[in-house]
Amino acid sequence: MESVKATRKKRMAAMGLGLALLAGLLSGCTGEPGKETIRFTFSKREAIGFMTKLVADYNASQDKTQVVLDTSGVDVVSASFVRGNPPDIALANYNMETSRFVQRGALSDLSGTQAASRVREDLQPLMDQYGSYPGRTSALPYSVMASSVIYNKEIFAAHNIAVPKTWSEMIAACEALKAAGVTPFYATWKDDWTIAQGWFDYSVGGQVDTIDFFKKLAAEGTEVGPESSVSFQKDFNQPVEKMLTLAKNYVNKDAASRAYGDGNLAFSQGKAAMYLQGPWAFSEIAKTAPDLKLGTFPLPMTEDPKDLRVRVNVDLAAWIPEASKHKDAARNFLEYLYRPEVIDAYNKSQLGFTPTKDSANVPDPRIEGMVEYYEKSQVYQGPSVLVPRTIPIMNYTQAIVFGASPASTLRTLDADWARLAFRQ
Amino acid sequence: MTKQTTLAIEDSSHVETATVPNIRRRSAPAIERVNWPATTVLVLCAVTVLLPLYVTVSMAFKTQGQAVDGNAFSFPAPFSLDGFIQAWTLTNFPVGAAMSLLVTAGTVLATIVLAAFASYAIVRNWERRLFRYSFFYLLGAMFIPFPVVALPQIQLTGRLGLDNPFGVILLATMFQLSFSVLLFTAFLRSIPMELEESARIDGATTWQTFWKLIFPLLAPMSATVGIFAFLYAWNDFMMPSLIISDPALQTLPVRQNLFQTQFSNNYHVSFASYLMAMAPAIVAYLFTQRWVMAGVTQGAVKG
Repeated sequence: MESVKATRKKRMAAMGLGLALLAGLLSGCTGEPGKETIRFTFSKREAIGFMTKLVADYNASQDKTQVVLDTSGVDVVSASFVRGNPPDIALANYNMETSRFVQRGALSDLSGTQAASRVREDLQPLMDQYGSYPGRTSALPYSVMASSVIYNKEIFAAHNIAVPKTWSEMIAACEALKAAGVTPFYATWKDDWTIAQGWFDYSVGGQVDTIDFFKKLAAEGTEVGPESSVSFQKDFNQPVEKMLTLAKNYVNKDAASRAYGDGNLAFSQGKAAMYLQGPWAFSEIAKTAPDLKLGTFPLPMTEDPKDLRVRVNVDLAAWIPEASKHKDAARNFLEYLYRPEVIDAYNKSQLGFTPTKDSANVPDPRIEGMVEYYEKSQVYQGPSVLVPRTIPIMNYTQAIVFGASPASTLRTLDADWARLAFRQ
Repeated sequence: MTKQTTLAIEDSSHVETATVPNIRRRSAPAIERVNWPATTVLVLCAVTVLLPLYVTVSMAFKTQGQAVDGNAFSFPAPFSLDGFIQAWTLTNFPVGAAMSLLVTAGTVLATIVLAAFASYAIVRNWERRLFRYSFFYLLGAMFIPFPVVALPQIQLTGRLGLDNPFGVILLATMFQLSFSVLLFTAFLRSIPMELEESARIDGATTWQTFWKLIFPLLAPMSATVGIFAFLYAWNDFMMPSLIISDPALQTLPVRQNLFQTQFSNNYHVSFASYLMAMAPAIVAYLFTQRWVMAGVTQGAVKG
């Protein structure tokens, strides 16, 4: 009987000790006393080192706010909105997912901030394309990524090939490379997003006015089909055929089984002259070939050099949720993030473009080829990202390069669009 | 007395020496003959486990340049600990591991204890409708995966202040309960009622009967249940990622999500991190596999 009592006592003691330990652990996680703590969500893996330092600098520079960097990702943010305790400020990829928060009015108005007044106005259509909330500037672009054809300058120079400006020059360049035994394009079709992002978007965006197209498409709604004023099957057919001309004749033989990682390696080893990827691939290529001379140029799809355009996406946008309890502190931090030296340093480190008017960024030689188009806002947003995620456009584009009929696949796309419009 | 025992030992050793050659002669060809088809199959099976493990280990010690060079099977040269260092700091490994450990330990303990309680009550009161139906009710939870109820769970835990590891322990235990109750009840039915009656005759209360008699007898099944709960809680990504709101309290798998991005490959960092996260699971398995095996075979014979 005594032994039972003793073990019970011991058990209770152990339980108590455990609870005390846990309480200590949990309470140890609240911020510094006397400072207002704000949670800052940022989950771009490659730039976490940069941001960690930036946040530390900010925390040291003043004694009112303590910024806590949260790198736990998109799912966590969505859950926190559901729960009602979203982050106080976020720099996140601006896409269809984020636009849901915008359209439902979950993000606060930033139009009164100094940062907002410095953002280039001609970029606003890119933001609005994902939807907006009446009377609010819900998000501000922070980093714009421009992407186009990446080319190996050494190979181009070795074969005396100039950067093509028209479709026929493009074909001629490909033929010349092929004749010299060089693979013109390195394709990585195992990863469907590389087709949608590069092959499909560059081909379509180089010819179709995407802003106008998607505006009309949204207006057509359930009517989208063979009879509507715009449709995928009508407007995208010709660009997709041109894409197939390149995809069928000028790529590596094993394209279907190569993934993004393989592509970076092969391209860094000089196995092809051109690569349809965004600037994020540069740091990957540099892992194996840090000194390779690379450049970029927009994929020419017409016979008029004036039609040249680069694909852009708002890689990072800043927003402050309506439900944040520390909006003022978050706004102060926002202004700090938009200080010219801070925003320029960030974009320089990530090969991005600064979306403010007073940017004084000297572009990296690798993205120099896109600067003039970005400055003149000859840009478009990739059609693949403007299609809602419910429609598996990446798989469709992959099916097309693997041999599915483009006409019937685009018809399917139309039908999907109409069905989705009907449901909403 | 002593003489007798020595005699007996001598005797037995004599018998042994006498029989051993006999046995060997009879079974020697059977030992020598190798069953090649079975061996080949088993070697292939072993390779499917060992090869990825080798890649994981060797990749973890590579430098960044070597990790992406397309030769997954090459030996790390130069040998680098950079991956481990980066993984350690990026995930804040000690805190992440502590949180994972807390969630896992809590889930395992709560699952074993609660499931054993419930099963004991249900099996011993099977003739009563309430207990029978509560068994079906618990089993019903097997048909509800977490993603289906994620949204209300997030809101509920948020309102009740359970948006932390404790909420995860609670929910994980709940989701683990149905399967565990199923295992326990099956096992409990094989324990003879007479054992319990003898304890009752000796004056044991229900509580004492359970803790002193039934729970120790359940040990093999508790080990099995515990291992399932451990694997689930340690590896679970979705629930902690959605339920825990403070990133400082996040578990390891969620922290490691950082390494999976579309645009960059950091094999050496990821694999180093995965290795570190795998270690406790392997250690736990090494220590408990004895009981799992025992549990399986015991159940098989009794059934």
